[in-house]
Amino acid sequence: MLVRDIMHREVRTVDAGTTLADAYRLQQEYHLRHLPVLREGSLVGVVTDRDLRLATSVLHPTPFPDDARVEQVMATPPITATPLDPVEEAARLMRAHKIGCLPVLDGPDLVGIVTGTDLLDALIRLSGAGRPSGRLAVRLEDAPGRLAALMTAVADRRVHAHSVLSYPADDGRIVVILRVNTLNTHALAAQLRAEGFAVTWPPETPWSP
Amino acid sequence: MVPVIHHPDYRAYCFGPDHPFSPLRQQLLWSLLDALGQAPEAIEPAPATRADLETVHHPDLIDRVEAASSGTPPPDAERFGLGTPDVPVFAGMDAAARLLVGGTVHAVQHVLDGHARQVLQLGGGLHHARHRLAAGFCVYNDLSVAIRRATSAGRRVAYIDIDVHHGDGVQWIHYEEDTVLTISLHEAGQYLFPGTGHVHELGRDFGTGFSFNVPLQPGTQDDSYREAFERVVPQALDWFRPDLLVVQCGADAHWQDPLADLLLTTHTYAWLFRALRALADEYAGGRAVFTLGGGYDPDATVRVWALLYLILQDLELPEALPAAWLAEWQSHPALQGVTLRERLHDAPRRFAVHDAEAIARQNREVCRRLMEMAVRYWY
Repeated sequence: MLVRDIMHREVRTVDAGTTLADAYRLQQEYHLRHLPVLREGSLVGVVTDRDLRLATSVLHPTPFPDDARVEQVMATPPITATPLDPVEEAARLMRAHKIGCLPVLDGPDLVGIVTGTDLLDALIRLSGAGRPSGRLAVRLEDAPGRLAALMTAVADRRVHAHSVLSYPADDGRIVVILRVNTLNTHALAAQLRAEGFAVTWPPETPWSP
Repeated sequence: MVPVIHHPDYRAYCFGPDHPFSPLRQQLLWSLLDALGQAPEAIEPAPATRADLETVHHPDLIDRVEAASSGTPPPDAERFGLGTPDVPVFAGMDAAARLLVGGTVHAVQHVLDGHARQVLQLGGGLHHARHRLAAGFCVYNDLSVAIRRATSAGRRVAYIDIDVHHGDGVQWIHYEEDTVLTISLHEAGQYLFPGTGHVHELGRDFGTGFSFNVPLQPGTQDDSYREAFERVVPQALDWFRPDLLVVQCGADAHWQDPLADLLLTTHTYAWLFRALRALADEYAGGRAVFTLGGGYDPDATVRVWALLYLILQDLELPEALPAAWLAEWQSHPALQGVTLRERLHDAPRRFAVHDAEAIARQNREVCRRLMEMAVRYWY
């Protein structure tokens, strides 16, 4: 999944000379928290609702008047992504800089914007159940062929995996989450256990009978 | 007497000897009612017509089911959920599925025509079938076809689903409708098929606020389940004011069920059936149609559904099951490995589950979150 797959292509921007009051009104009107700032058509910064509120706060030692220009309070230079960055790279950038959006630049051109909300949507999509499916969690040794062996064991039972998600466990193994097209995941889990797979969901009997 | 809909040919809806959705369950039930001296005179329904099916299903799906009825799946069957481990094709599949749909439609029509206020369809409850997709043992969605029959007649239907799996097919088919309220209590989608039924699935467009989901934790026991039911169902019905309830009475939230992870005893089922009748009286003029559904432990399922039947008919509940019936079935080859219990009810019990209080707390929080979101659409 790449940034171009999840970014918003219609980007509302402001000019560097826009007043703080006008930028604030724009954010209110369109429910935006982030506005890329352009000077002569080129991206020069980002101004957030938080930047505007802090700059004009009565608590600020020298508060800006509301007719100050956004270029006086914006974050610059902007931190940006490209359309071909993977979404995890976008997430890492936003996490490292503790920021809420990335303008997307294709060469010099502003072609989109990605926000934290878009990354949450991507997470939901990556982990989601698009078709009716049961869930299977298996701990695998992090070694060549183990995932292939699991998928083969599942396919041997004519079960189809709609989605596969994996992440590293604490003990050096990997946790693999499959969404499979069967309601009878307990039976499938029992068969996989018999073949030596460490199935952690569904459980054998989590309660005493 | 609550009329009973059933047809001997319901048993033709059979995916093979090793498939959990077995017609044996109904056969067991029928013979038990017979042994109790309570076997009803059943109304035999006609199969649903193609026009009926097309009120909720895409013609492409119906075409594939018809083609698969030779016993061989058409080449693109899997795109329609057919020829899969859960919905293998079998000879006569279309006719068998249509008869079950016909039964549920007949049950609803019977109520619409004023012949009875409550009807029991001893079959059906195929809640996973979607507009263009068979899934989870379900070919056609008898519930939605029957619900459509009622809404076409200008009635408002509250659908209540106590099967352990989310009633996804019914929910998605009516997701944009404000004449159908769907309420499903089920094991949470992050743990169990079909993976949906989260609290935020509230409906879309005109249907926003008309879909209620109560996803429950694995290991949920009697008390917590009843609490969740009471926190959500009466309030939702009070808001919606249906003309008719359609209730899917899957028995697979029972603790013995091999396919899921909730821990209800028969006592909660008896409580639920009585509560549902009382809710029908209070909010729907007493009108309700009950269907069967999932339930994969033959012993538990037959006892739960016997309770359903006996409670609907206001009959006294026997404590012990007839010895002759037990003897006959205990030695039946199809029940190898199954122990039939001698009493209709489970012994009341609590299970030693890891942190039962955390499970109950989570269920309570989920109900609170659901009602907090839903209330915005109702005031």
